[in-house]
Amino acid sequence: MMRSFPPVSGRTYIAGDTQATIMRDAYIVGAGQSSYGAFPDESYRSLFATAFEEALDSAGGIAPGDVDEAVIGSLGVGGRQLGLSGPAVTEHVGLHGVPSSRIENACAASGYAVRQAVQAVKSGMTDVALAGGYEVMTDMSGDVAKYWLGVSGETEWERLTGTTFSGVYAQMASAYIDEYDASPDHFSKVAVKNHANGAKNPKAHLGFECSLEDAQNAPVVADPLNLYHCCPTSDGAATVIVASEDVASTCDEAVRVAGVGAASERVGLFQRDSYTSIRSSEQAASQAYEMAGLGPDDIDFAEVHDCFAIAELLAYEDLGFCERGEAPRLLDEGITDLDGDLPVNPSGGLKSKGHPIGATGAGQVVEAFKQLTGHADDRQISDANVGLTHNVGGSGGAAVVHVLEGGVL
Amino acid sequence: MTGIAGVGAYVPRLFLPAEAYREAWDKGGAAGVERVAVADADEDTLTMGTEAGRRALSAADIDAGAVSHLAFATTTPPADEEEAVVRLASLLGVPANATMQQYGGGTRAGAVALAAARDATGPTVVVVADNPAGAPESDQAAGAGAGSAALVLTDDGPLTVDAVGEYSDPSPGTRFRRRGSTETESIGITQYERDAYTSTVGGAVDALDADISDVDAAALTAPDGKLPYRAARTLGVSTATIASGTVVSKTGDTGAAGPFLGLASALDDGAESVLLVGYGGGAGATALSLSAASDVPVDAVFDGDVELSYAEALRRRGTITGEEPEGGGAYVSVPTWAQTIPQRHRLVAGRCRDCGALSFPPEGACFECGFLDGYDETRLPGTGTVEAATVIGQGGAPPEFVEQQQRSGAFPVAVVALDGPDGDASDDSVSIPAQVAHTPAETPDIGDRVEAVPRRIYEQEGVVRYGFKVVPTEARR
Repeated sequence: MMRSFPPVSGRTYIAGDTQATIMRDAYIVGAGQSSYGAFPDESYRSLFATAFEEALDSAGGIAPGDVDEAVIGSLGVGGRQLGLSGPAVTEHVGLHGVPSSRIENACAASGYAVRQAVQAVKSGMTDVALAGGYEVMTDMSGDVAKYWLGVSGETEWERLTGTTFSGVYAQMASAYIDEYDASPDHFSKVAVKNHANGAKNPKAHLGFECSLEDAQNAPVVADPLNLYHCCPTSDGAATVIVASEDVASTCDEAVRVAGVGAASERVGLFQRDSYTSIRSSEQAASQAYEMAGLGPDDIDFAEVHDCFAIAELLAYEDLGFCERGEAPRLLDEGITDLDGDLPVNPSGGLKSKGHPIGATGAGQVVEAFKQLTGHADDRQISDANVGLTHNVGGSGGAAVVHVLEGGVL
Repeated sequence: MTGIAGVGAYVPRLFLPAEAYREAWDKGGAAGVERVAVADADEDTLTMGTEAGRRALSAADIDAGAVSHLAFATTTPPADEEEAVVRLASLLGVPANATMQQYGGGTRAGAVALAAARDATGPTVVVVADNPAGAPESDQAAGAGAGSAALVLTDDGPLTVDAVGEYSDPSPGTRFRRRGSTETESIGITQYERDAYTSTVGGAVDALDADISDVDAAALTAPDGKLPYRAARTLGVSTATIASGTVVSKTGDTGAAGPFLGLASALDDGAESVLLVGYGGGAGATALSLSAASDVPVDAVFDGDVELSYAEALRRRGTITGEEPEGGGAYVSVPTWAQTIPQRHRLVAGRCRDCGALSFPPEGACFECGFLDGYDETRLPGTGTVEAATVIGQGGAPPEFVEQQQRSGAFPVAVVALDGPDGDASDDSVSIPAQVAHTPAETPDIGDRVEAVPRRIYEQEGVVRYGFKVVPTEARR
């Protein structure tokens, strides 16, 4: 049974067709990503260029000169171009003079970049906007990387107990297991499923299958999470081209952005009302569904933020795919498998496809675009008309959800 | 007349058996020492002194806010130069306008501080803590222990200092530490050092001009487990009297804190009169004779309960580990840290002026009602309940904690609902994140009760950041 959402207070969207009378529609007309992985021969600029070229190729009908706005997500791991990160990549790919800015919301940076591009188009200020993100995380020593991996946790108190995100999500996992009928085996099942999907994705960082035994017996990272319950750190970039209906109607492919939702939450876990749900995800989903005039029942597949396996379980519940405490059942029954009723993370998710922080949110939209336009090859979900992407920053301090609808133009 | 109204003592829970040193080095080690207490990587003389000070205040039933004089004696302060006593006051809650003095320079420091405290007016706290070290192969290292004790003096405290005697005579090389070094040494000439100890201690006791032959216990600085007994004949007391005031065999050499741990132990065993002698290399001694008009409250832990291997002890002491890696990224500046000292040292929370909910740290909008009306300060007792927990393994910690992990290994972390000011686990609580200072590093169960303890959190730019961690209530000694 799907969860029902309470009405969103404080803002009102007019659902469905009548929405266009207030704000015009926005469409994804092209999307592309680099491979995710460890690439000592690549730079953040070259990875971004690869993603941009693929997005342009897929767009058919859009030329670089058509882009009049760019929003780029990056956490800035390594500090390589912390200032002017947006222009650094858009000028590199020839978008000379195009206003370009960086958006930082930790792991949700480029999910928010997509949202910003959608806002730009819907507002009428922009006809074609580029949203994207990048991160390079594997070109530094483990010691240096340590300085960057925890920068999005609550710094003064949470981090200074000695935690990074694995520790914070492990605390959430401990509370979830304490509250519901769940075990670490369910985390292992997330790994098995997402690796099975990622093995079908040539751009996945860890594109291999793993057995349940492999996942169960991996070294402990932060009890109850083991290595297979944690995503890798990756290099990569992803880009999405967002356009108005007039432009989209001239393109080869177009996916309608039916709903967008975003919300913030207190940065530190200890500051929150619940450790077994992510309120920002719930609010973002609620907004996106309401704007789309759709609900969780209407979703054909989802790309969710599985930075740690517990996060995928929380996402099922926060996004309304099941009631509280029922996420383990979805895994036990194979409902979220690629051939299940509601496939989740067909790309392999953060676990297998990889997690180049700033690229992840846009990368999820890339997968949704491919699925909705029938270009997902071996992992193509049949009859995929409505997809959802769910991107979380940190341990939930920011969340953004997109509901995307194919076959409308 | 000013007297001691309460005594606290704290010895770390980690210990190394003397046998482990003997096996590692294939030689005898420190005379008369069965085991040595080992400070954990997040403990030092300031945290141990805070533990003892809080216990002494509790035993004396004195509020730290009423203290007008604080003395801190140690030969091993966290930094060679900087007034550790100031942060000790903050950790204890002693007011900023109290008189504060720090004593060092030799292991006599505690006795000197107590002799001076006799003349102080108003509630006075004397904290003595030491954590000596030696070159790994040396007898000093073999015997080096760790511990602290504290005394609270009030106008009507039952244990009075009846007489003070002093004696000094140059004996260079008997116990010293070179400038900039962390390793205590001695010249290693056995008879010379024994004579210096015996004659100096004897001279100070002579200067007391009091009959000490009947005291219940004699608590002497104990560089090893034999020297105090060698002084028995000179002092005219039995070795049993020495034994009643000596804990070195169970703690190791605790430097300036040694005679005070002996005093606490003797009082805990019911002693009514005690001779306390502080001896410092070089050499000088201060003797005090004390007598109790009635029972003296003592709140003390003397015995460790976690045995270490020799390699583990070297790691905990930082003898064989590295330092924080270089890097960038997240950073908490010293001024930013300093703004939260009331929270980190004394658990000062806030109560929302609008809705009454607790907030920690008390800043920003209230998480309960969302208003920015500000907070009234309220101090939390430090008890709480685990709400979520995990263990951070090697490699999983931020760089600030790399050295701690090298030394102490994996550590648990938890989200803890700290009890409100009334101290019960009712709805009036506030959640905080905390590291769990516990060996072995096991994940606490949700619902476990814990208590806050003072600890080093991390060191950066040469500045140690002190705060609180929690320990399971069932493991609290």
